Amino acid sequence: MRPIFDPFVLPFVISMTFVLLYCIIGMIRIIFQLPKEDRRKFLRSLIYPKSALKNFRDLVNDCLFHTKIWKRKPLLGYMHMSIALGWFMIIIVGHFESITFSPLRGLEVPFMQKMMSNLYLPIFFRYFAIEELSLKAQIFSFLMDFFLLMIISGIFIAVVKKKKPKKVGMKRVTKFGIKEDMVRLSLWTIFPLRFLAESSIANIAGGSFLTKYLGFELVFGGNYNETLSMVFWWLYSIDLAIFMTLLPFSRYMHIPAEALLILLRNAGLKTTEPRKGYAVAEIYSCPSCGLCIDVCPMSEVKDNYKNTAVYFIRNIRKGKRRRDVKNMTEKCLMCGKCIEVCPLGIESLNIKIAQRKKTYYKIKSDFSYLERLQDYKTTRPQDDLSAHSQKTLYFAGCMSHLTPKITRSMTKIFKLANENFEFLDADGSICCGRPMMLTGKINEAKALIAKNTELIKKSGAKKLVLSCPICYKVFKEEYQLDGIEILHHTQYINELIENDKLNIDRSDKRYAYHDPCELGRAFGIYDEPRNVIDNIGLLTQGKSDRDMSACCGGSIGSLTMSMEERDEITKNTIKDLTLNQPDEIVTACPLCLKTFARLSPIEVKDIAEIVVEGLEG
Amino acid sequence: MDNVDLKLFNKIEALNPDINTCMACGLCTATCTAGNFTDMSFRKIILMLQRGKDKEAIELVKKCMMCGKCMMICSRGINTRNILLSITRIYNEEQNI
Amino acid sequence: MNEYRILIIGGGPAGMETAYQLKNLGLNPVIIERNDKLGGHLAQWDRLFPSSDSAETLLEKLKDQTKDIEKKLNAKISNITKEGNIFHVTLSNGIKYDAAAIVICTGFDLFKAEKKQEYGYGIYNNVITNAELEDYFKTHNDKRIDEPKRIGFVHCVGSRDVKVNNTYCSKVCCATALKQACEIKDEFPYADVYCFYMDLRMFGKGYEDLYLKAQKDFDIKCVRGRVCEVSENIEGKLVIKAEDTLLGTPMKMTLDLLVLMCGMEKSKSSNEIQKMLNINNNEDGFIETRDNFSGLNLTKEKGVFVAGACTSPKTLPDTIAEARAAAMEVFNYLKVNGQPSLVQ
Repeated sequence: MRPIFDPFVLPFVISMTFVLLYCIIGMIRIIFQLPKEDRRKFLRSLIYPKSALKNFRDLVNDCLFHTKIWKRKPLLGYMHMSIALGWFMIIIVGHFESITFSPLRGLEVPFMQKMMSNLYLPIFFRYFAIEELSLKAQIFSFLMDFFLLMIISGIFIAVVKKKKPKKVGMKRVTKFGIKEDMVRLSLWTIFPLRFLAESSIANIAGGSFLTKYLGFELVFGGNYNETLSMVFWWLYSIDLAIFMTLLPFSRYMHIPAEALLILLRNAGLKTTEPRKGYAVAEIYSCPSCGLCIDVCPMSEVKDNYKNTAVYFIRNIRKGKRRRDVKNMTEKCLMCGKCIEVCPLGIESLNIKIAQRKKTYYKIKSDFSYLERLQDYKTTRPQDDLSAHSQKTLYFAGCMSHLTPKITRSMTKIFKLANENFEFLDADGSICCGRPMMLTGKINEAKALIAKNTELIKKSGAKKLVLSCPICYKVFKEEYQLDGIEILHHTQYINELIENDKLNIDRSDKRYAYHDPCELGRAFGIYDEPRNVIDNIGLLTQGKSDRDMSACCGGSIGSLTMSMEERDEITKNTIKDLTLNQPDEIVTACPLCLKTFARLSPIEVKDIAEIVVEGLEG
Repeated sequence: MDNVDLKLFNKIEALNPDINTCMACGLCTATCTAGNFTDMSFRKIILMLQRGKDKEAIELVKKCMMCGKCMMICSRGINTRNILLSITRIYNEEQNI
Repeated sequence: MNEYRILIIGGGPAGMETAYQLKNLGLNPVIIERNDKLGGHLAQWDRLFPSSDSAETLLEKLKDQTKDIEKKLNAKISNITKEGNIFHVTLSNGIKYDAAAIVICTGFDLFKAEKKQEYGYGIYNNVITNAELEDYFKTHNDKRIDEPKRIGFVHCVGSRDVKVNNTYCSKVCCATALKQACEIKDEFPYADVYCFYMDLRMFGKGYEDLYLKAQKDFDIKCVRGRVCEVSENIEGKLVIKAEDTLLGTPMKMTLDLLVLMCGMEKSKSSNEIQKMLNINNNEDGFIETRDNFSGLNLTKEKGVFVAGACTSPKTLPDTIAEARAAAMEVFNYLKVNGQPSLVQ
């Protein structure tokens, strides 16, 4: 007869209760901090079958299988999956096992005690169990051993990652303090201790290939020692208790927080407050894995890696002085690479913008002068065309006025394509509002957006072509231009080529294409420019492109970065782009163009420019 | 100039040391998006603040659209946008001179 | 005379004058020139500031001085090795020299105006460079210059501009601009001529007189403000934007011709030679000299000397004075080091 209770389970039971309460209270707090509208949206999403199904799929994929990490770094993906899925399966299978073969079967036990025993029985099942030889029991012990082995293999990779990050494909890893080290150590030791505890008693409780044959026979030499066994069970429980107690205060909080984040995100919520509601779920979901450090362009400058997303989030979480957080926020280039690489998809840029919104500006903008403006002074369209075709607007944007090659090339392309076009801001633009938005002054930005919207709608055009990705982003996201198709010129040119409206001579010139952040990562416009270049010459591969394309360094997203720091980033990005000896660098953003041209050893051109060259050559 | 109080300007200066590298070429003003419609002039703002003409400067600052064209063209590489933001944070509209 | 030579790299004014002075000092120089003729930029120029003297007269004088000196035209240096104090130099055509000293006189390149895209050089037809205008004065053959009514000169193109990585002043453009402004006014007396400057740096002998002459006799209007953008209006005329900084107002102006005063950059032709001789650039991208005062003709390599615009932007009088000083430095160096070429 085995006992049905032992004091060693207490540390675990107490800490587990604590952690559960902590998480539930935290969750309720987050939900209550959400704006009313968001909260309703969230609760509704939990019930709707379609979103509920998506929730389930995402929870399994992201929390258990970690498919996002698999895609980028398979070894790290396996590490996470083996620990998360293995642990989860041990809990699930453990519960079934402890229900099926409960030592309380057939015993007269008070109901309360039976209930309480469910708290610890599945975790410490072997201590209370007696070996059963039925096939069903054997299958259970095999599964338990299998998942235990899986976890231990994952922990092995974790140890390697800690000692030699390069082996798992990381250059820099996040730096941690003693507390985090302790929690990690407690996590790493949980399962080896479980293995030892279960092995030490396998002659009584049974087990499978791992605990019985490898553990009991080999490690313990086939001898059962009650005191030694008790020591391991106690250590196992205490270790679990340490981990559980520290979990809410450590990065491992991402385990429960991620689940909530997925649900909130699937409900379509976004951060509006930097330290409340959705942002809190995001902040606690950050596992401090540091994948964002290597990709962050700021890391190019010594010491600036301390401003990367992982440290930014950590500082907010630690409740660091507002000034520190503010400084980090204002340094960021807002290129979005960190979000792209984040296994949890934490949208730290939204937190940063929300934080920027908090800055108090004593002087308010005054755009009353725009009210007097009745119309853009445009270059009028060709009269012969205006009669029989829809008007297309061309809005070059502020910065394109400093790159006349872009505007000239676009004008030429419009004419060749027989487009009934109107160069809206030929004589100077009203800013699109995106730069203002990036400073956090949303209302001011809205004033600019409203004026532009009014003037554009007035024109009666059905298509709007933009040359600047900065404009493109805000036009797509914030402008209400019902019925007007918004295109960046890469998309527009690609359409023309696909419809055989442009005849381009293909040359053997080698081009490297730089994806502007606000075209690529923001809208996934990767294939259109590449298709265009394929029709003009040879596209060479850079070190990293598409969603991992690096910021040019000129981004207006950063408010405080100095020119020297920007130059380091620019040089590095040029180095990446010229990896395979292109003849020219091609981009699709006037700001990227200007930034590169300053430091590039080879020519830098806009995509519209090389199209026109192809037409003439 | 004897009665000019530069306390606030010194704060801006501490945050943006590059403010003093302006050589008054006028590029920022000539290229300014808001300058197309108004008398906005970054160059003048700096000069006005340096000379203690805060009120006039603030009137100009309000018109800025933050587009960043001046930063893109400045021949001394001054971070014009952040200077403008610092001004709106540090100076007060009701400033008495 | 004996077998050890003094190698002069570059056959512009600096190289020619250095060679001439070295020969006067009893040494045996040889000029290596990559082009098919001597003279460098001087050969492209029509008249010289401040007094509008003929460039050709000066060039002829320099040529005459060097007529007995050995020159290798269309030649490049393919290899240099140093053995003791002697440089073994091989040219691209296989000719070898043993040199006791090398004087680098590679001069400057004009800033490539297309790098300042906003000025529209290579985009708009009527935007030309200072060198192209000078060529027009010489040949009167440039279709773009067709009875212009309004002409603008943009100073500091590629100078004093961190956005093209040239933060220095090119020294000669202010005077050149006013000289050219007067000259074009001479050609087209009814034209209005504007100079867009940041600071008029009229520091040399006769420069201030040139400034006065431009104002008084030629009615050249100087506007203090840098041109930021150039565009084209519907009639195909140039529209420039600048701030009239003295008035404190932005200005727009329609022009028929815009001349960009391209500044100086170190000539790229010296890059290879610098690599062979292990000589660095200074912070402006020109060849580094030993110091900024008395070592202006010296480099950190013993036996390697420099003269002219390869170390910083220079006017012609500066260049010629420096060339003479370089010859003296070479002579002193060989004397102190007991070089065989001095033992006659």
